Amino acid sequence: MDAEVELLPALPPPGPLLAKALVPSLDRGPTRVPTRTVLVTGVAQDRARLADYDRVCGFALRDRVPPTWLHVLTFGLHVHLLSGAGSTIRLAGAVHVTNRMRLHRPVDAGEILDVSVRVENLRPHKRGALLDMVGEVRVADELVWDGVSTYLAAGAKVPGTPEAVPREEFVPTPPIAIWRLPGNLGRDYRRVSEDPNPIHTSRIAARAVGFARPIAHGMWTHARLLAALDSRLPGAYVVEASFARPLLLPATVGAWWRPEPDGGWRAAVTTADGAKPYLVTRVS
Amino acid sequence: MPGLIERAFYSRGGQAVAGRLGLPEPPVLRRGRVLPGEPVVRASLAGSMLAADTLELLGVVATSPLLDDGAELPTYPERIGAVVVDACGLREIGQLEGLRAVLRPAVRALAGSGRVVLLADAEVEGVEANAVRQALDGINRTVGKELRRGATANLVYVRPGTAAADLASTFSFLLEGRSAFVDGQSWTVGPAPALLSAAPAAAPGSDSPPLAGHIVVVTGAARGIGAQIATVAARDGATVVGVDMPAAGEALAALANRLHGTALQLDITAADAGERIAAHVATRYGADARIHGIVHNAGITRDKLLANTDAQRWAQVLEVNLAAELRINPVLLDGRPGGLAEGGRIVGIASTSGIAGNRGQANYAASKAGVVGLVGAEAPELAGRGITVNAVAPGFIETDMTAKIPFVQREVFRRTNSLGQGGQPVDVAETIGYFLDPASAGVSGQVVRVCGQNLVGQ
Amino acid sequence: MPLPRSAVVVGGNRTPFAKAGGAYAAASNLDLLTAALDGLVARFGLAGRELDEVAAGAVLKHTRDFNLTREAVLSSALAPTTPAVDLQQACGTGLEAVVYIANKIALGQAEVGIGGGVDSASDAPIAVSEGLRRALLAANRAKTLPRRLQALAGIRPSHLAPVAPQVVEPRTGLSMGEHQARTGAAWGISRAAQDELAAVSHHNLAAAWSSGFFDDLVTPYLGVARDTILRPDTSVEKLAALKPVFGDTMTAGNSTALTDGAAAVLLAEQGWAEANGLPALARVVDAQVAAVDHPGGDDLLLAPAHAVARLLARQGMALGDFELYELHEAFASTVLATLKAWESAEFCSTRLGLSTPLGPIDTDRLNITGSSLATGHPFAATGARIVATAAKLLHERGGGARGLVSVCAAGGQGVVAILEAV
Repeated sequence: MDAEVELLPALPPPGPLLAKALVPSLDRGPTRVPTRTVLVTGVAQDRARLADYDRVCGFALRDRVPPTWLHVLTFGLHVHLLSGAGSTIRLAGAVHVTNRMRLHRPVDAGEILDVSVRVENLRPHKRGALLDMVGEVRVADELVWDGVSTYLAAGAKVPGTPEAVPREEFVPTPPIAIWRLPGNLGRDYRRVSEDPNPIHTSRIAARAVGFARPIAHGMWTHARLLAALDSRLPGAYVVEASFARPLLLPATVGAWWRPEPDGGWRAAVTTADGAKPYLVTRVS
Repeated sequence: MPGLIERAFYSRGGQAVAGRLGLPEPPVLRRGRVLPGEPVVRASLAGSMLAADTLELLGVVATSPLLDDGAELPTYPERIGAVVVDACGLREIGQLEGLRAVLRPAVRALAGSGRVVLLADAEVEGVEANAVRQALDGINRTVGKELRRGATANLVYVRPGTAAADLASTFSFLLEGRSAFVDGQSWTVGPAPALLSAAPAAAPGSDSPPLAGHIVVVTGAARGIGAQIATVAARDGATVVGVDMPAAGEALAALANRLHGTALQLDITAADAGERIAAHVATRYGADARIHGIVHNAGITRDKLLANTDAQRWAQVLEVNLAAELRINPVLLDGRPGGLAEGGRIVGIASTSGIAGNRGQANYAASKAGVVGLVGAEAPELAGRGITVNAVAPGFIETDMTAKIPFVQREVFRRTNSLGQGGQPVDVAETIGYFLDPASAGVSGQVVRVCGQNLVGQ
Repeated sequence: MPLPRSAVVVGGNRTPFAKAGGAYAAASNLDLLTAALDGLVARFGLAGRELDEVAAGAVLKHTRDFNLTREAVLSSALAPTTPAVDLQQACGTGLEAVVYIANKIALGQAEVGIGGGVDSASDAPIAVSEGLRRALLAANRAKTLPRRLQALAGIRPSHLAPVAPQVVEPRTGLSMGEHQARTGAAWGISRAAQDELAAVSHHNLAAAWSSGFFDDLVTPYLGVARDTILRPDTSVEKLAALKPVFGDTMTAGNSTALTDGAAAVLLAEQGWAEANGLPALARVVDAQVAAVDHPGGDDLLLAPAHAVARLLARQGMALGDFELYELHEAFASTVLATLKAWESAEFCSTRLGLSTPLGPIDTDRLNITGSSLATGHPFAATGARIVATAAKLLHERGGGARGLVSVCAAGGQGVVAILEAV
């Protein structure tokens, strides 16, 4: 490894950066992404924001934090990396297609974290390019969480044979739960995630990118499904999620989960009839 | 794993793009209850069949070694996962050539996270035989330093009368990924005490986990290495009693619930700590219940140069790390309900700081060297009851305690061992799991370093 | 009447109690009750186990808390097949929940269960005004837009002010403190006596914390490891400096503070506990609830005095027969008035129908590890806190030691119970 490390004094709020990131890169050169790792050390977790996050996503408030919360902490760094001059890809225009997180051990809200993100694995896709945002959270030097968010940047050009995105398999299943998701969900999640992308809150912004209504944050849907399993999950696990289609708000959706023989879980958020998936998840 | 912080440390200003990493990426070690994926080679230098019998008991199929016999150097057709050399019976300097002839081709073919396991007699007579015995240790330590890609070398001395069943848990530990960060070490295994032979533990390789039905108490269990020890013990089938300070109760409760064990909030320096541990066990698991193993993991540091160490810093560390264990053990050993079972296990945590000394840690080194002394004295005392007393001596393990060490010093510590990296808490936990194993009845009075063959100390 | 089977207290657990608006400001009833259950489960190794029933409740409840206890069970490490019930008897809830489980065990309807309670004064529901509520409901029922608008037009600006829950007696319009101020005046309870009781409560609780007494009764939550209302260094002098808030003598120092917290007690049939390797601290001997006619002029918080008289009569016991007395300190004045009432020949004769007064108690046996003035008082949790504490104290005193537990409650009610060390 021969990578540069950029040390930031604090986690950047994604808001102002994203505004910049909404403006398409004018760079017409070949598609490129930063090679450096961006790192913030000594991050103290905000218990009040965590409580709000837990509430919005349906987690019980306890000192152990959900893995999706740690993802939220890395999100500002995702935006940071993909908004500078070193990147021709803008996060605001990219679609989150899969997410894989490993919680190496339970993490307490009181722990001081070192949070880092880097971009890896820029590769061609038939509609553009895929890239992995690799986040890591350490307590001291112990890796306690890592997460890979794979984004599809439509229109980006990377040489090579296009790759498909591996999808979690989905079999239509009658839902166990029916969730009614209110129209203001995007605003609630924006508050706790600090992801201000207006396609989650504004009908106009959503229309601009071809959706009739605002769409739910994928990581909210992911978190909500994990929250449903919360008391049944072990202290360390891997959770893989495929975001199958956008979820327009408000909505009534189905959800199901079932244990696997290996002690893990399969779960999904689907249309209310269980026919089509919004999110397919596997915990192992 | 090199910390990002260390890489960023080379930057200036702390905000701008930082420097470059010039250090090689350390190998990823094979961990867990996983045997080498490649073939295991076995050699016997003086006709002993102990290693062969032990491998057979474990169900490990071993192949014959290639020998460097002076002709063209033979080459293994594929990588090998381990080479096990039985040097029992070796008495003469000249016989060491046999070891060289086996190891030369073998170490060249050793796979990543491969294993060199040497077996030798613990007790020999005569000047030359003792010289040979010690020479093996020198070879072992050197091979450990020369191996690359996460491969390790370790030496097991066996006392007279040691049978394959006595040795099986040790071989299993050494060959599997559980011993990932144990390198360049030697320790001694003997025959299991006679009183236990009537009721043998689960046969090696059987499906039931080794600690099934056994209660294991872990102090300092809420976080860090303690949580890993508890988790590994539970994985191995134990019913875990997690002990930690009342203030750590929330994390402790979560751990206990996850492992389906119980939580005991207790300051181990309390005068009645031993009584309360036994009472907890007796009232949770019945008056007939006994502790199979207690792991005295709770520990603190209060680092200062001796020149700046006041009485309080001195006392606190000795109290938690050593005096508490000294008070608790006799209580658990007095036969009371909820105390330690006959044939039980006591495991302490020493430290390379205790063995080698460490600047700024006189109090800590005292306490941890004290643990080594305790093991040496208590093991023979309890041998008659089949109770083993052992300790691990962790080197640089990546925890929040080591994180307090300044950057440069930490990077130096982390790198100055044969594996080029810090160990993980699970490496300490796995070694403790090996001591706790009922099949390790012949392992007592040992201090095994989990340090990646750190350069400091013996 | 002897009970068919013995229900014993196995042990208890609670969160540290925290001043309202403090460390638990973001925690809901559900969060707090789940934390109390999880700590209890960890203490007794019940993870994944199915219990016969969990009974608990909260006084200040959101509509989303309609099935609070069951939801807490589902969030906890207990088996999801553990049934649960919500109970509510104001501040008597926690004790009533324990009695409910104990009775089921005694009758053979359950072998093992949990009784408890929770309250969050920080996360209390805010209601809309009655006028706004009626207008919104009418608008919701309206089938056409004009009718809907007409219904909404009925909303007045004054309707828009939110209505916080009030600890006010609906039939008298008086707060509990105002009620108690009247009682205290009538019984001649002095400021000095109240401050003295409050100081002792803090000192007793502080001593219990320092001695490790709560090591197996409390599990930290959200980084809080001790009760935050506790002031170990308070004194009669410091308390005497506070200004009265109710009447002339009742101050913030000798009245309980608004508090967040949860508590739970594990109960089991005695033989079942033994067979399952669990301890038995104390048997639940008997319990009694009573109410007074406070709209008719009775002292609102003296109902426990009545309940105790009936309980003693049924058990053939005297008030002096107890090693321990745990009287919930709603206000210092409440405890002192209750003690005076038991000593009063007139009260015992005219109100309790007794020929001789119940008599004084040895105050060295009263609330010896502190009570609500020092711990705080998350309404529904208090009863379970007291039962777990009393059971442990009695067990330390040895088999046969008896304790009297008493909790006064809004609505002029009181719940009392007798525990006996196993």
